[in-house]
Amino acid sequence: MLDTALLIRRQDVPVWLSVATYAGGLIFGLCAAALCLVQLGVPANALWQEFVVQTFLTQQGLGQTLTAAIPLVLVSLGAALSMRVRFWNIGIEGQLWLGAMAATWISLHDFGPGPLRLWLMMAAALVAGALWMALPLALKLLWNVSEVISTLLMGSIAFLWVQHLLFGAWRDAATGFPTSTTLDPVERLPLLGWDQLHAGLWIALAAVVVCALLTGVTRLGFYARAVGANRRAALASGLPVLLTVCVFVLGSGALCGLAGAVIVSGTEFRLTQSIGAGYLFSGIVVAYLARSNPLGVLVVAFVLGGIYTAGNVLKVFYGVSEAVVLLAQGIVLMSVLCAQLFGDYRIVTRRRA
Amino acid sequence: MTAGADAPTPVARPGPHEGTGRAPALLLRGIDKAFDGKPALTDAGFRLEWGEVHALVGENGAGKSTIMNIAAAVYAADAGEVVVDGRDVPLKNPADAIAAGIGMVHQHFRLVGRFSVAENVALSLGGAGRKCSVAEAARLVREKAAEIGFRLDPAARIETLSVAEQQRAEILKVLLLGAGILVLDEPTAVLTEDEAQALLSLVKGLAGQGHAVVLITHKLREVAGYCDRITVMRQGRTVLAEAPIASVTMEEVARHAVGETSPAPVRSAAESAGAEVLALKGLSIARAGGGLAVDGLSLSLRAGEILGIAGVGGNGQSELVACLNGLLSVAGGHLDINGVDMTRASIAARRAAGLRVIPADRFDSAMARGLTLAENLAMTEVPTGAYGGAFRLRRGAMRKAAEQAIADREIRGGGPATQAALLSGGNAQKLLLARELAGGARVIVAHSPSRGLDMRAARAVHVALVEAVAQGAACLLVSEELEEVIALSHRITVMNRGALSAPLNAAEATPARLGELMVGHA
Ligand SMILES: Nc1ncnc2c1ncn2[C@@H]1O[C@H](COP(=O)(O)OP(=O)(O)O)[C@@H](O)[C@H]1O
Ligand SMILES: [Mg+2]
Repeated sequence: MLDTALLIRRQDVPVWLSVATYAGGLIFGLCAAALCLVQLGVPANALWQEFVVQTFLTQQGLGQTLTAAIPLVLVSLGAALSMRVRFWNIGIEGQLWLGAMAATWISLHDFGPGPLRLWLMMAAALVAGALWMALPLALKLLWNVSEVISTLLMGSIAFLWVQHLLFGAWRDAATGFPTSTTLDPVERLPLLGWDQLHAGLWIALAAVVVCALLTGVTRLGFYARAVGANRRAALASGLPVLLTVCVFVLGSGALCGLAGAVIVSGTEFRLTQSIGAGYLFSGIVVAYLARSNPLGVLVVAFVLGGIYTAGNVLKVFYGVSEAVVLLAQGIVLMSVLCAQLFGDYRIVTRRRA
Repeated sequence: MTAGADAPTPVARPGPHEGTGRAPALLLRGIDKAFDGKPALTDAGFRLEWGEVHALVGENGAGKSTIMNIAAAVYAADAGEVVVDGRDVPLKNPADAIAAGIGMVHQHFRLVGRFSVAENVALSLGGAGRKCSVAEAARLVREKAAEIGFRLDPAARIETLSVAEQQRAEILKVLLLGAGILVLDEPTAVLTEDEAQALLSLVKGLAGQGHAVVLITHKLREVAGYCDRITVMRQGRTVLAEAPIASVTMEEVARHAVGETSPAPVRSAAESAGAEVLALKGLSIARAGGGLAVDGLSLSLRAGEILGIAGVGGNGQSELVACLNGLLSVAGGHLDINGVDMTRASIAARRAAGLRVIPADRFDSAMARGLTLAENLAMTEVPTGAYGGAFRLRRGAMRKAAEQAIADREIRGGGPATQAALLSGGNAQKLLLARELAGGARVIVAHSPSRGLDMRAARAVHVALVEAVAQGAACLLVSEELEEVIALSHRITVMNRGALSAPLNAAEATPARLGELMVGHA
């Protein structure tokens, strides 16, 4: 008499099913977003051109997509590392600002010989990001202060510090704008010849490899899995929980800091007030969608980079407003997230007699 | 519609044996239920009459909770019918079941910890469409509590109450929701002997007033005196239905439940005590809320013996075990392992010295539900380098070791890559034993190692402990189950308010003598 549909939780989700639900969600989301854009007057054939050809299939488009993906990969790896030990890093942008400031500081003072300068900038960014994370980590470990609050607030402090410098000591005297002076050529990441694409690509790929090895092959990665699954049991089993948490959480801060330096020396060539905006949300979204898996982060960040690139093109050439671009991006992300339902549950329909 | 309106109000009704021809309170027939393809119930049935206390027994995983969850419409059956009080109204969700007068007290209570008793009741009544103020709920709680004869402060916050009191709050809540049919899932598992007796008398009284009560348990002995009839389940089927309690023996019930004659209890071999391996000297441990949980406790444990620590839970046992493990720090005194002072030693150092802990709650402080069997098994050995160096973990070796352990210990329900969460309680415990009793175990601290396990699984645990001790390990057995302590231990002491009584030899330790020590009249 009645048609009922039941959701039945799967006891085991096979890998192919996870992949299929992701792909299905992505395709559905892209189609829905495309429909939306067509409704708003973007010609349908232009969509194919912009979304696929211009973002993934031409050299210039692919270059832009990869360029957008580089810092995304780094912050998302950062988010993923801390997620693995159940430490919620909501201060991604703060650590990114610190890394950007550290790199700018090295460049403004011309520390070290020219050929080493870039390496110094990157190293300083790693250290600065990790240090900015050290305080929330210490507060958490010593007095169990919620890291959600402390990292978030540290993010605001970092931004105010950047503004303090840009409106003060570091203001570009030549233009009077609140940005630092442009970097010397030796302080810039070399271009790879595909549009804006720079050597930060190798940094991001190296970071992915290191994180993949760390989480998948080393002992520390195993400890992190245990800590993430049940911290108390890991402790009672004699695992070095404190060391594991410190490495993963400080590593998270360091990677976010590195992202800041890569943006400064790869695409902006100066410190500005806007380079860090938005990375908190995208970093967490990417890490979540990738289930904190470094290789997954690479794939998801690449796709998201493409969506950003296409969004920019739509804005510039088709007069689509920022809000619509955000809407389209939101639709894609939401449908990928919602598609997980089909992986986690089996849907059974049955006819009641 | 008010929930209470068409609920069968529990007025005095004739007992089940007086046969008035009244429809049964609850009738489940031909019930099938599978979880993701895995059958939990196959053609199961259950029949409950008004005015009776009906025991539903069976091993862990037999399907007792599942069939009652279907009656309470928490789960939907795949096939079969549920008839409440003779009316074939489909119960689509728990609210329907509540409206039909079915109240279930789950193994894990459905109470909001931060709310008071009255607030919880008001919340549930509101959810059932009978909005009332907290003050009104408090009045209802007081009246109902007085009516059925127990004390409960309506203003007390749930999380400040003992488990027994929380259970009372849950029962009151369910009764105030208008339950004529009361289902209690393993209600005595969390109670002390006295509390269990009180609960069972209460339940008997409710049946006398005309309620119908289902008592789910896997310890029939405990409830036998309070039940009218019994139904036994095994592997998702009803194997013995509605037998009057007087007409069956314990052995028959056990045979139905296990499918074979019940195993004889395991006994330790005669003592052959060797060198002292664990010594506690005046050990004190602070309690979380202030004060001392363990106060100047001393004991000596020697290789080849099992020292039993009996006692009612909450007298410092959990703190003692956590402290031995290294999870709680020592407030005073000393702890020696193999003659070496380990009072402040790290957990890893204690393990290296041969200390192994089987905590009461294995998924709280021993294993992780989200890790695979292989990972859980390897967890303690990874830091020692048994599975490769710091930069190269040998997952293949982990898998092989897990396959071996799964075969040796007869762990059912999954392979090396299965998540531990999918194991039944008994198999999860076997997994933990496989890990903790493997090479190098010299001092085994086992806390309620058979709690919540059925007869067969409990027996496997006992056999494993006795074997380990026969091979030269020492075991500190901390348990609230007297039978277990008496059967396994060479010496027995009783823990009461953070202190130990003088140890008794196995021969002197009668249940009566231990019982006196437990309540502290000795
Ligand atoms: N929510 C659930 N999801 C998956 N399997 C379940 C669920 N509930 C019970 N089971 C399975 O159903 C079987 C019966 O379980 P249960 O009714 O809880 O047994 P009992 O209460 O008799 O110990 C077991 O094999 C158990 O693993
Ligand atoms: Mg059960």
